[in-house]
Amino acid sequence: MAIDAAGRRGRHLAGLRNAIILIVLWELLGQLKLVAGGALPAPSAVLIRFWQDRGDYPLHLLATFEGAALGFFIGNVVAIAAGILFAVSPVAARLGRGLNVAIFALPPIAISPILVLTFSGMTPRIALAALGCYFVTMSATVTGITQTDRRMLDVVRAYGGGWVALLRLVEIRSALPAILSGLRVAAPAAVLGSVLAEFGGGGRYGLGVYLIGSLGRADPPRLWGIGLAATGMALLVYALFALIEARITHTTRAVTVAATPPGTPLAIGGFAGAALTLISAALPFAVWWGFLKMLGTPPMIAKTPLGVIDYLFFAQSAETAQLRLLSALAQTLPLTLLGMTAGLAFAFALALASVVRPGIVRSFMPVALVTQTMPLVALTPLLVLLLGRGPSVILWITVSVTFFPAFVTLAQGLGMVSRSALDVVRAYGANPFIQLRLVSIPASLPYLFAAMRLAVPRALLGVMIAEWLATGTGLGNLLNQSRGYLDYGMIWTVAVVSVLISILFYQIVIVVERRVLQRRGMQPAS
Amino acid sequence: MTTGTGIALKDVSRAFAARETVVQALDRVSLDCPAGSFTALIGPSGCGKSTMLRLALGLDAPSGGTISVAGQSPQAAAKAGLTGVAFQDAALMPWRSVEGNIALPLDVLGRKRSDYTGKIAGLIDLVGLKGFEKALPGELSGGMRQRVAIARALVTDPQVLFLDEPFGALDQILRRQMNVELQRIWMESRATTLLVTHGIDEAVFLADRVVVMQSRPGRIGKIIDIPLPRPRLPDVFTTEAFHALEDEITEALDGH
Repeated sequence: MAIDAAGRRGRHLAGLRNAIILIVLWELLGQLKLVAGGALPAPSAVLIRFWQDRGDYPLHLLATFEGAALGFFIGNVVAIAAGILFAVSPVAARLGRGLNVAIFALPPIAISPILVLTFSGMTPRIALAALGCYFVTMSATVTGITQTDRRMLDVVRAYGGGWVALLRLVEIRSALPAILSGLRVAAPAAVLGSVLAEFGGGGRYGLGVYLIGSLGRADPPRLWGIGLAATGMALLVYALFALIEARITHTTRAVTVAATPPGTPLAIGGFAGAALTLISAALPFAVWWGFLKMLGTPPMIAKTPLGVIDYLFFAQSAETAQLRLLSALAQTLPLTLLGMTAGLAFAFALALASVVRPGIVRSFMPVALVTQTMPLVALTPLLVLLLGRGPSVILWITVSVTFFPAFVTLAQGLGMVSRSALDVVRAYGANPFIQLRLVSIPASLPYLFAAMRLAVPRALLGVMIAEWLATGTGLGNLLNQSRGYLDYGMIWTVAVVSVLISILFYQIVIVVERRVLQRRGMQPAS
Repeated sequence: MTTGTGIALKDVSRAFAARETVVQALDRVSLDCPAGSFTALIGPSGCGKSTMLRLALGLDAPSGGTISVAGQSPQAAAKAGLTGVAFQDAALMPWRSVEGNIALPLDVLGRKRSDYTGKIAGLIDLVGLKGFEKALPGELSGGMRQRVAIARALVTDPQVLFLDEPFGALDQILRRQMNVELQRIWMESRATTLLVTHGIDEAVFLADRVVVMQSRPGRIGKIIDIPLPRPRLPDVFTTEAFHALEDEITEALDGH
């Protein structure tokens, strides 16, 4: 116990030391204008600017916080309820799959103009923030509930307890740490959603409004200040839930190791299975349609699925629309794939290196976690400042947005490789590289696929944000332009196409994952 | 058909589908445990003894045959609060205190905890955990956790008690002590008890009858009566008669 505490204090001190070194280095780089001719201002300059702007911040912060907080609340309440439903009913899970994948794959930037055009006031911000939270918390809830210790469930069942008793007495409580970690990860997503909806929203206040307004002025310290303010907001919520999570985890962890593996999901095959899959795939379109009908938005603005098909294939302007879309895709897709591959490869290499040298993870993890909480929109202008407006900035943004979540997933996965499996090969004198080849790499496959699934929509989102804000190319630019021209057909088309592309990539990963893991007798990592 | 609080299995089968084969965990097993009797199930791993217990608890459904507990279906008996259970692993909820864990069956059955405060305090005393009422399972030793599980099994005053290797994780010394305690508790309550165990000495010491099972397919090999008078005291472990019964069970386990 005492050694433990000392070790922890040592690690904290090392982390603090690294942070101080980093800040001092940053200050030096900034003062000497070493990076991109002063695009990286010194922290002191950022702070001074922040102080000068102090009159502007409260209203902007408050507006973004309002959208993010309401969206966070609504999105997570829905997510937890849906997660419980999906965990309890395998049929509901199968039915909801299409909708869940669509929401997961949805690049928020693609539907931000639609929301802004369809709703007014705070609603677009709240809706986008809620959408950003939904998938993370929903899947965390499902994972938490389905991984409940089977032995505890048996005790309740042995006294005749049904699913209500199981939920009330065991499952929800035991899923609490997982749900809390979902909420933690959802916090930056909520801030991101709110800020993105502010971009084209026409409101007066909000960090997004402030950011767009300041983008044209050559004022790096202010952009950094806004980015850091958004990060700080997300980090605060993140820290709050991390704290609660740490406090309750020790009363949740099983005292002994479970002997039985968690149950396998219900397999529904044949005709009923095919019908379920069909309904599940049709559901997102039905929801889209039903939503517009319910709101009664004029068809000129709100395109139904048929409206989009008409715009793209049958309307008079269909041919030009197709050309514009295809040329935008030709710009966006290669960079998305390239950036994603590079980000994943980099993350995988570094995660493997961390097996050989565990010190790497320990010193790198806090930085990786902070960047996780940094909303993408805050990151993009900063990278634009650093790297200019060429295609390289797109690549860098994509690499950075895919790298961190992939690295965290992979490093955690590799950390779970069983000690004894490593000990077996070590006992025969295997060097670190043989250990990697024989144990760590094969064992980390499920996590590599999990990282890929995670990376797909983020990569597309990163590219589109960069195109919108920086380069003026590809899908992101097409979206921004169409917004300016009030070309509703194109706005809807870009949104739908980007979601479909994202789902396509996601499904390809899933199919390959299933094949590979099945052949190796492994389970996908959630 | 057994009346009262007995357990009756009639021609019970349970098959599990594995990758390409079907594993016959239980093949047409019939067993009658009269009300108030103490029956021990013993056998090699994979002989279906835990499957049998899970079926009788209503946690699993048989592929064929019928099971009745106290004249009802296992699920009905469980819902009526007639049964109690302790598993090999204590399976305590890590977020509930010792008291809270013992009260768990009451919460499942929808009974008022306030009616049982005296009962719970008495059980904590009985299993020797006085002073640990508010402790969480993570703060207890393995033996203490197992005693919480026993107390939990007894909180509803069950008429039928199922014990799945309840002392399997304990060391030999603690196990003997717990056996003596369990016999005392059982003699007071006279609940119909079905004990699954790996320990031959434990089976002989506690049971009226020892059912020796065989595997592939899981079936009953031999039923051996234990005529030792009660209460059995710890020194019974060293008597001639005790050893003779142990040898008989060992032989039956070898398939003779």
